[in-house]
Amino acid sequence: MENKDLIIKLEDVHKSYYLANGEEIPVLRGLNLEVRRGEFAAIMGESGGGKTTLLNIIGCLHPLSSGRYFFDGEDIGEVRDDFTLAFIRNKKIGFVFQQFNLLSRMTALNNVCLPAVYAGMDRSEREEKATKILESVGLGERIFHKPTELSGGQQQRVAIARSLMNEPDILLADEPTGALDSKSGHEIMQIFLDLKKRGKTILMVTHTPEVAKYADRIIYVRDGKIVDNDYKLKRSDDY
Amino acid sequence: MIIEIIKMAFQALVSSKVRSFLSMLGIIIGVCTVIVVFAIGQGAEKDIADQYKNLSVNTIMVMGSMGGGMPGQAATSSKISEDDAEAILDKSSYITTAAAIVQTSATVIYDDAESSPSLIGVNEAFFDISNLNIEYGRIFTEDENTESSSLIILGSTAAEDLFGTASMSVIGEVVTINNKKLQIIGIMEENDSSSTMLDYDSSVFVPYNYAKEKLMSGGGRENVRIMALVDDVDNIDLAIDEVTDILRAEHGLSSWDDDDFSVMDAGSMVEAAQSSASTITMLLTLVAIVVLIVSGIGIMNVMFVTVAERIKEIGIAKAIGGTQQEILGQFLSESVMLSMIGGILGVITGQVALMIIDQMNLISVVSSFEGIAIGFGFSVVVGIFFGFYPALKASRLDPVDALRSE
Repeated sequence: MENKDLIIKLEDVHKSYYLANGEEIPVLRGLNLEVRRGEFAAIMGESGGGKTTLLNIIGCLHPLSSGRYFFDGEDIGEVRDDFTLAFIRNKKIGFVFQQFNLLSRMTALNNVCLPAVYAGMDRSEREEKATKILESVGLGERIFHKPTELSGGQQQRVAIARSLMNEPDILLADEPTGALDSKSGHEIMQIFLDLKKRGKTILMVTHTPEVAKYADRIIYVRDGKIVDNDYKLKRSDDY
Repeated sequence: MIIEIIKMAFQALVSSKVRSFLSMLGIIIGVCTVIVVFAIGQGAEKDIADQYKNLSVNTIMVMGSMGGGMPGQAATSSKISEDDAEAILDKSSYITTAAAIVQTSATVIYDDAESSPSLIGVNEAFFDISNLNIEYGRIFTEDENTESSSLIILGSTAAEDLFGTASMSVIGEVVTINNKKLQIIGIMEENDSSSTMLDYDSSVFVPYNYAKEKLMSGGGRENVRIMALVDDVDNIDLAIDEVTDILRAEHGLSSWDDDDFSVMDAGSMVEAAQSSASTITMLLTLVAIVVLIVSGIGIMNVMFVTVAERIKEIGIAKAIGGTQQEILGQFLSESVMLSMIGGILGVITGQVALMIIDQMNLISVVSSFEGIAIGFGFSVVVGIFFGFYPALKASRLDPVDALRSE
């Protein structure tokens, strides 16, 4: 089990939500997953199948109901302490969302700086670093623009830059191209490929085969379980 | 880290200036009210101190009061007169000096100049009792009082009002009151009393008998007061009892009649006035605190709206590694900053308001450090107290729910 190659390992993970009347809605039902360091994996599956819940659990945004969660070999499934979870989210994980989730009153630069603010980095140091990252995603000219002054693709690149700010072990992307036209979507995927080449681990939820095909492998989720750990796209997947 | 959080809070406030200002408005008004209220309270206390500063502690004062006569009988007006003053002086073993005074207002004319000072009819002993000194000329003699001579002494301000100067040159001039001519024989030394009740500087003094006989229509009976000096401070209570007995006998009151006069000593008058002034201050302070609490609820309301509007932002902050403590800190510093800036603006507004009130001379105000400290301190407390709950709510939001909200 002590496989140094594994960044993420989930064992028999269950996750249920509860309605106001106490009714249990199981979303993940005994899910097992392994993500190797340095791989670019896509999670596909039907809506309501638990893709996003899975990503939220891996991102320490949700506690799991039962099962074990190893992050980089460490069992963090039982951790509920806000400081520890915030620390993992801050330092070990980078999030990229479908809706970008940038702060509209801040410039691109300040948005990218934000995780470093929570990490306690000096102003000059973090601004220098954020500028470099923004340059690497092709936004060197627009660091002082606010999100509203940027196109969707550019906003997503700012969001990626932000997720890279604290040099996380893994990038979690939830439908990163879902709000973009296909040209911008492909540009974002090029950035992901580039990051993978530089050794980043990426786990991406998508329902678009065209996007999923950029990944090294596709994990297929259905009814709260992984039904295929290396799913091959078929003609019928329509890409 | 703390500085970074405060900076972010400040940016958030600046990014919605109108709302920030509106929510500060309550605090501004509250702090301003506290400061003005305190200044009015202090002003009232100073007024009282000024008002009674001419009374030495061993002064007692006799004033007429309603009452007397048989029970059920209509109340009569007071029966205090100069005879009572003489009786007290003759019969009391503790009283060293006693003077009846009578007060009214009058129009004093000199050439084209005209003023309406308060006119006080006094005898020579009054100046002693009241610690008033003559600056130019002289005071009345006993004979002049008895003969009700047409003589007048001016307070320093009264002289300036009429002649433009309080100097020797005024002595000997003749002024007219109610078509009667009076010769000026003296000007009093400036007394600095800014009191509203007994402002000797802007008063004029005439012989007691002259005032009663020639200038007052009703004989001036209802306005007569007696001021008397007790030989020793320790004897004041004894003197009051004795004077009461003497006056009851003089007025022919039987044992079941109430007093138709009241005897007070300077010390207890000052105390009574001060305690009523501090009661007013306390009342007004309570009002100001209510204003601050209401404005605090306003801040809480605004902070709830702010939190509700920024649920998504809170979700983002959590997703990228903000702790509950940091989010609590950010929202709390926003409300504290709101109320602190509001507090500072309130202090400034309060001071400006005091300057305006002072200029208008409506009411005396004394700006006090306590007022500023309490007003400002309270505004910060309000910010923390009412900002805490919304901030706590923000910090405890579920990150996934928060991110999902629009």
